[in-house]
Amino acid sequence: MGPLLYVSDLIVYIGIFGIVALSLNLEFGFAGLANFGKVAFFLIGAYTYALLSQIGVPFYLCLIAGASISAIFGLLVSLPALRLRADYLAIAVLAFGEILRLIVKSEKWLAGGDWGTPVSPIFSYTGSYIIYRLENIGLVFLCLFICFLVVQLLTNSPYGRVLRAIREDEVAAEALGKNRSKYKAQAFMLGSAMAGLAGGLYAQYLQYVLPGMFMPMVTFTVWIMVLVGGPANNWGALLGAALVQIIARGTNIAKDYIALPIDLSNLQYILFGALIILVLLYRPQGLLRESQVKTRAIEGLRRGRNAVKNKRSK
Amino acid sequence: MEETLLKIREVSKHFGGVYAVNGVSLDINHGGICGLVGPNGSGKTTLFNTILGLHRPDEGTIYFNGKCINNLAPHQIYELGVVNAFQLPRLFYNLSVLDNMLVAARGHQGDRLYNSLFLRGRWQEQEVELAGRAMEILESLELDNLALSPAGELSGGQRKLLEVGRGVMASPTLLLLDEPAAGINPNLGKRIFEGIEDLAQEGLSFFIIEHRLEILFDFAHWVYVMDKGKIVVEGKPEEVLEDPAFYQVYLGE
Amino acid sequence: MIVNWAQVFFNSAITGSLYLIGAVGLTLTYGLSRFPNFAHAEFITLGAYIGYLVAEQAGLGLPLALVVAFLVTGIVGILCYRGIFQPLAKRGASIIHLMVASIALGFILRHSIGAAWTWKPLYFTTTWSSFDIGPLRITGLWVWLILTSVALAVLMHFILVKTKIGKAIRATSSNPELALASGINVDRVILMTWFIGAGLAAIAGIFRGADSQIWPTTGWDIILPMFAVAILGGIGNFYGAIAAAFIIGLAENIGVVGLVALGLSTTYRIGIAFLILIITLIVKPEGLAMLFRRA
Repeated sequence: MGPLLYVSDLIVYIGIFGIVALSLNLEFGFAGLANFGKVAFFLIGAYTYALLSQIGVPFYLCLIAGASISAIFGLLVSLPALRLRADYLAIAVLAFGEILRLIVKSEKWLAGGDWGTPVSPIFSYTGSYIIYRLENIGLVFLCLFICFLVVQLLTNSPYGRVLRAIREDEVAAEALGKNRSKYKAQAFMLGSAMAGLAGGLYAQYLQYVLPGMFMPMVTFTVWIMVLVGGPANNWGALLGAALVQIIARGTNIAKDYIALPIDLSNLQYILFGALIILVLLYRPQGLLRESQVKTRAIEGLRRGRNAVKNKRSK
Repeated sequence: MEETLLKIREVSKHFGGVYAVNGVSLDINHGGICGLVGPNGSGKTTLFNTILGLHRPDEGTIYFNGKCINNLAPHQIYELGVVNAFQLPRLFYNLSVLDNMLVAARGHQGDRLYNSLFLRGRWQEQEVELAGRAMEILESLELDNLALSPAGELSGGQRKLLEVGRGVMASPTLLLLDEPAAGINPNLGKRIFEGIEDLAQEGLSFFIIEHRLEILFDFAHWVYVMDKGKIVVEGKPEEVLEDPAFYQVYLGE
Repeated sequence: MIVNWAQVFFNSAITGSLYLIGAVGLTLTYGLSRFPNFAHAEFITLGAYIGYLVAEQAGLGLPLALVVAFLVTGIVGILCYRGIFQPLAKRGASIIHLMVASIALGFILRHSIGAAWTWKPLYFTTTWSSFDIGPLRITGLWVWLILTSVALAVLMHFILVKTKIGKAIRATSSNPELALASGINVDRVILMTWFIGAGLAAIAGIFRGADSQIWPTTGWDIILPMFAVAILGGIGNFYGAIAAAFIIGLAENIGVVGLVALGLSTTYRIGIAFLILIITLIVKPEGLAMLFRRA
């Protein structure tokens, strides 16, 4: 019974953070936006869900609201911030996230301040934890599937090509007729919406929200997922999410089963740090290489080329 | 319709008190090849960047088809039909050669967020056509076999060619070329200018900065000579070659 | 509401002093190596723990603690640069990659410290004398802090203006290629800057730890205000950092008065530095650099 619970918990986390990783991958991997404030939009989605569900709004509307309000904040942030140099943008959004966390910490009337507030779960406990987990897995992976579909369609289209172009050289892209502010803002809003959706799912799964759940560490963890999995590769983002969660949950599980002299949660972060530095040094493109734009025209050309090549070699 | 395509009146651009472009006025007419020459540092590239919208003119006005474009963003200037090929190629190095061309395409339906998600059929067809056209241009530049390779794998000369090819792909009304023959062997350079001449006959207008005077003067209809931010000589190539002021620019103090 | 303005201004000097010592290293390495080093937080934390070891566990007193922490952390700074940032930069890592590496390094350092000392907060048990001058309450620790920051600022100024290595630092800061061409050993300049920067961070860590508590996030707790100082002062600009440190110190302490007046929680205090950081980045990212000659 024990291991099944742990594994199902792990799967839910992979699902939720898979969505967040996809969102950062869209913003950074494809559009080149260094969003170091990812947790802010995760927080917005979570708290929106918490507050709305408290007043009896049906769960799907709470999720949609969480995504939408996150997207609105994404737009507001993008207006002044997206034209900043990469490191300035990163620091500015990081600070923004910290300000948000400070607000939810200090304004106790909002959502209980430091002590947070409970969130009613979507699926009520019917006597079996496994069923509860499976229901959550179902919902989370449905959302993950939709998000994955959206980003795959987007990035395998001329739109995705433009995003990559802006990432490579935004001035050249602008000179070729692409309104970089518009594209960046759209990518950022979409990414924020996805993070907000994931935040709502997170809140209802843990059945609680409190500021300590939204530290910058969450943003950095998602960055590890994207960088290790492979930026600009949606499968890579999912792979990265799975790997990081396995290490994270794994060390938590190990703690309960193995009594070691050292605190394993420290080891977990040391491992993360070492992993990321090794990846940056020896495999900066990540585990899965950047994916190229796949459209009918390009695939047709590729197949034509291969056909010619095969004919020649026969 | 305006006779003059691009009208530049008393345009100046300075950086921290140093005037890169100082009171420049010139006209580019429809369907011609206009040259811009001058020694290094005379302000030619700055002038191009100002036309493009990368810099805002500090003084003066730039008109395209009668419309003032001083305050337009580069993507809006592209919309009006002005496209540029940079002196140092600004390619999208992690994208394939073909992708580079396709980004330049004008009016690609798939560029829009909604279309890319929901109206995929509409632009898939269009992209096949655009890819066909892109491959034609690449073929004329002998880059077609590298169409699916990352632009980063191209040699210096090939990158230059792709930069120019991208400009042509953008279906411009006026194409600004900044040293298109630089770093390219003279025969290929001549072929490029022959291609430019063909396109000019089809109605495309060109404004070309070029150091290889011997190639430029064979093809240009009109030449402007710039020195220290000002236009000092202008006229048909043969007239310019006879003007002592022209030689002074290159040989003088 | 009655406000003890004398105390507010004195407190501003304290905050400013701490921020100055802590942020000098950050702004110099940011300017020189061209990336925001988030592991600077862990230099601060490391300093606090070394200070604790020397002053508390070995009982050798504050001055020695400051010196030892400076030296040890300075060396750690050099090792971090040589071992991680320089190799990455050589492989063409982008500014974001370097920033991520610094965050990852921070994980390793922070959690190694946590593993070694546990996450329980530690406290300096030295009792500091406190005395009142008129409306001002002053403690010995604060006097030490202000004096140290003044001394260090003067020392840095002297080094930058009068010594060969200092002039080399200024030259490399403003134009690395030219500096290299003029025969300056740029590599040594960079190492020196990382050494001094990390060492100063350690000193800030000891004061911060002494004034609040020592735990693995001692540095991380104030890293954003440090960035605020570095950016407001102009990245890489030592004199700008001095001004920025005291401006932000003032803003925070006057801000606290404002928060109380408005009935808001004083936990927002640190948010004042965050706001200054964001506003500077958006409105004028070069900060006060215009007003102060380079470095």
